Amino acid sequence: MTRVVLVPGVLALLPAYASLEDPVAELRAACLSAVSWLARDVQVLGNPRVAAHLLDATHRAGDEPSYLVVGNGSATRTEKAPGHLDERSHAFDAALGAALSSSDASWPSFGLGKDLLASLDGIDRLRELLPPAYESVVDYDDDPYGVQYWVMRWSW
Amino acid sequence: MTLRLGRHTFTDDATLMMAIVNRTPDSFYDQGATWAEDKAFERVALVVEQGAEIVDIGGIKAAPGVEISEAEEKARVVDFVARVRAAYPSLVISVDTWRASVGAAVCAAGADVLNDAWGGADPELVDAAAEGGAAIICTHTGGVTPRTRPYRIEYDDVVAAAIDDTLAYAARAEAAGVPRESVVIDPAHDFGKNTFHSLELTRRLGEMVATGYPVLVSLSNKDFVGETLDLPVGSRLSGTLAATAVCALAGARIYRVHEVVETRQTVDMVWSIAGRRLPRRAIRGLQ
Repeated sequence: MTRVVLVPGVLALLPAYASLEDPVAELRAACLSAVSWLARDVQVLGNPRVAAHLLDATHRAGDEPSYLVVGNGSATRTEKAPGHLDERSHAFDAALGAALSSSDASWPSFGLGKDLLASLDGIDRLRELLPPAYESVVDYDDDPYGVQYWVMRWSW
Repeated sequence: MTLRLGRHTFTDDATLMMAIVNRTPDSFYDQGATWAEDKAFERVALVVEQGAEIVDIGGIKAAPGVEISEAEEKARVVDFVARVRAAYPSLVISVDTWRASVGAAVCAAGADVLNDAWGGADPELVDAAAEGGAAIICTHTGGVTPRTRPYRIEYDDVVAAAIDDTLAYAARAEAAGVPRESVVIDPAHDFGKNTFHSLELTRRLGEMVATGYPVLVSLSNKDFVGETLDLPVGSRLSGTLAATAVCALAGARIYRVHEVVETRQTVDMVWSIAGRRLPRRAIRGLQ
């Protein structure tokens, strides 16, 4: 059985950027829990730094083919977001979230996603990896800092 | 090395705010605002709420003035220490005294630290600290008599003198039985020093930190700040915080202060700049 996990490429997850109070505690917990579900050997799709840290921080077992995808939705969801507010971001993220969740939904334009500062390289490769019919388990779905994050898992 | 202040221990990277609580009618900064015991107790409650880890209770102002007998000093501080001890078990209680008999009495009442601002004027104070299980602050005053102002004192090298004298004091304290982890040194800005001396001690504080003993600095609203900026008591906060920042960058561990909140912010900021403390909560650019 193939196992796949999606996490956002949030630099605040890295030890080099630790704070006294973790600004992404809930996200971190979801990431670590999901990545722990992967097998020992994991192929990384997307930002290697965040992936390497999460893999180092987890104990995993088993030999199933495993993938860790790093990517997230738009970074333009609020006025304080890194890319300021772009009104198109909410519809884009809703469509992307639906497409990640189920093969019943269609993918939004990745070209628009680039305009909205979405991190899509890993998700683009995930799209090619997913089987014709799939459903994900959504462990985290929020935008605490104006950036759309998901932690999702797939298996088939 | 762990810092042990009486009942309390702190890790190597901890910085501590020591809030001044005067049981005096005439101290230079507050002019008797906490002379009444209940007012002093309110001050303790306030500084605890503001995050002070230590209170430094004093019954005699540092400047010259009416002589205060041992009995009077004890009357001002001993029962008060007991009251604070009972109300705040996790608070470090320091008492600013040079007298061994007062030191012994306050240790029995619950004090954790004897802050000898007058540099060992009473040689038996170290015995009181050792017997009472208290830490001791070893200050440098250049050998002046307690409650006198400096008058034409000069040093070949004020920093070397401060290091030599405080380390000699530390050795006496350890010989008397005070554990090394409970010995703190203090260059004592303005005590036996003119403004130029205090500025140089601030500039070269790293040399005291390099001794390995935790360093306490008492800078708050002092005359060297006032003379440097030509400002009266009450207008010296910015200057105090500038000196605080320099001492923090050098690695001072304990800050004896009137203004707890402002000093804590200054020290935390500098400690983080120095790479010794994480930011409280950083997300900007890292989302």
